Amino acid sequence: MLTIIAGATFREAVRSRTFLLLIVIYTVGVLLSRIVGWISSTDGDLVTTDLVLSLQSVIGVLVAVATGTALVQSEIQQKTLYTILSRPVARWQFVVGKFLGLAAALALGQGLMLSIALAYLWLTGAPVHGWLILAGMLTIVEVLVMAAVSLCWTALSSPLLAAVLGLATYALGHAVAALPDLINHLQGGQQILASTLASLVPNLGMFAYRNQAAYALPMSWSDAGLSLGYGALWICLLVCITVGVVRRKQL
Amino acid sequence: MRKTLFVTMTLLSFSNVSFTYRGDWLQKIHAVTDVSFAVPSGCAYGFLGANGAGKSTSIKLLTGLLHGHQGQITLFGQPLGDRHLRARLGYLPEQPYFYDNLQVEEYLTYLGKLSGLTAPAIRAACDRVYQLLDLGDLRTRMLRSFSKGMRQRFGLAQAILHQPDLLVLDEPFSGLDPLWRARFREVLHHERKRGATLFFSSHILADVEDLCDHYGMIDHGRMLEQGRLADLLGQAPLALTGSGPLAVGAVAAADGTWQVTFPEAEREARLAALPPGAHVLRLERQRIALEDYFVSRIRAFHGAGHRLGDT
Repeated sequence: MLTIIAGATFREAVRSRTFLLLIVIYTVGVLLSRIVGWISSTDGDLVTTDLVLSLQSVIGVLVAVATGTALVQSEIQQKTLYTILSRPVARWQFVVGKFLGLAAALALGQGLMLSIALAYLWLTGAPVHGWLILAGMLTIVEVLVMAAVSLCWTALSSPLLAAVLGLATYALGHAVAALPDLINHLQGGQQILASTLASLVPNLGMFAYRNQAAYALPMSWSDAGLSLGYGALWICLLVCITVGVVRRKQL
Repeated sequence: MRKTLFVTMTLLSFSNVSFTYRGDWLQKIHAVTDVSFAVPSGCAYGFLGANGAGKSTSIKLLTGLLHGHQGQITLFGQPLGDRHLRARLGYLPEQPYFYDNLQVEEYLTYLGKLSGLTAPAIRAACDRVYQLLDLGDLRTRMLRSFSKGMRQRFGLAQAILHQPDLLVLDEPFSGLDPLWRARFREVLHHERKRGATLFFSSHILADVEDLCDHYGMIDHGRMLEQGRLADLLGQAPLALTGSGPLAVGAVAAADGTWQVTFPEAEREARLAALPPGAHVLRLERQRIALEDYFVSRIRAFHGAGHRLGDT
């Protein structure tokens, strides 16, 4: 049942205009990144590499938020889920299948973006190495976490509000990466409160290896595995929350 | 000698079902209150009611889209809750919407798989619904290009795809031109012949009259009445046309005849009381238009003090 729902969701997502449009915008952004490299006072190749990898993250998150927020609430508003849930499909199967399909579409989009970026860097003579692929892979995990965040927000609110909250979570998620230094300056209850609040948001800094990858700074496999596991845990948690909310929803 | 016992099974039943949801500012809205009805197997049940009467809420309860009701709903003789029962259910929502970026054939294949059909069964089922609803030429079209009427056709196609035992249709005729209304009626007659039970709500009461043998009338979330349509229509008064001396209460016509109407119960007394020399030309039952009856019944209910918000 999950693969059936995931398959249809995948097809629906990759054919959506938003998905195709953002791939085109990414390609244009990659082509324009060379200009920033030229005008940069530092190594142009490094700036271009850093820029295309960051662009993959930003565009990926935009696609994840746009498609993730349309997943549950829009289906309720447009009644598209009526003909599905009136069949022998459990609500958890619907949510998990939908997420898997969306995740597959996002991973495909991210894979395409990474391929375009690597091909472009190679064609322009910039150094291409395995660390860039690892950075791209971690960005894919980041995008999937953001898709789960958007899915969860859309189950709890309206699509528009979910999009705003999704982007806010993205900003907070990256801000949280800088928090440990700040939290260390706090004491007692304040430190516990700050740590607790920080743990409520996924630390997206765990996946931000892009800058180091541009400089070919190595990342240990244990760190990469830890980031992967951390992402998977957040995705499971957020999908479980969404399932809990959707199971109680009146359609 | 073996005897075959035919038992009319109740396919769907509501027993004292009430459902309340939270509106704006957490205000309680009683969508249905103490609703009871039974849909026998093989029948066509017309579920009638004005806008906001509780028809769609009742339908959503039985399809599992809404939950948390009081009372009992049984589907195929079993309490609602086992989702596998829904494999035998076909549902067309009111004003259905579908995914824009899937083609007709892809969509039907998807829904067929969800209903548990095998790949060969899906192919056969698609061919069947293409033929019934003229969708064959549209099989590779994306649904985003469909008009309202075409979406309704696709909606019925997906509802009957897996040859369900119970077809639940919420306003199936809305958005259709007269030609497609007629075709929908033919398809629904066809489904009944196949053995499906129909349960549908409609504002177009002529279609209900044409298709249904049972009816239920709901207003403001309460069941007003239900029964066999033939019994309802059989309650129509008799019209006696005669010539010669006027009967009591008769109205004379210009051609020298007269007409008097009276209830079935007065038939014998009225005929016996005809004046000497009067001739009976015709005695026939007047036709009750379901629409007129529906309007008068709802108005009478409102006249008895029930207003919007009472329930």
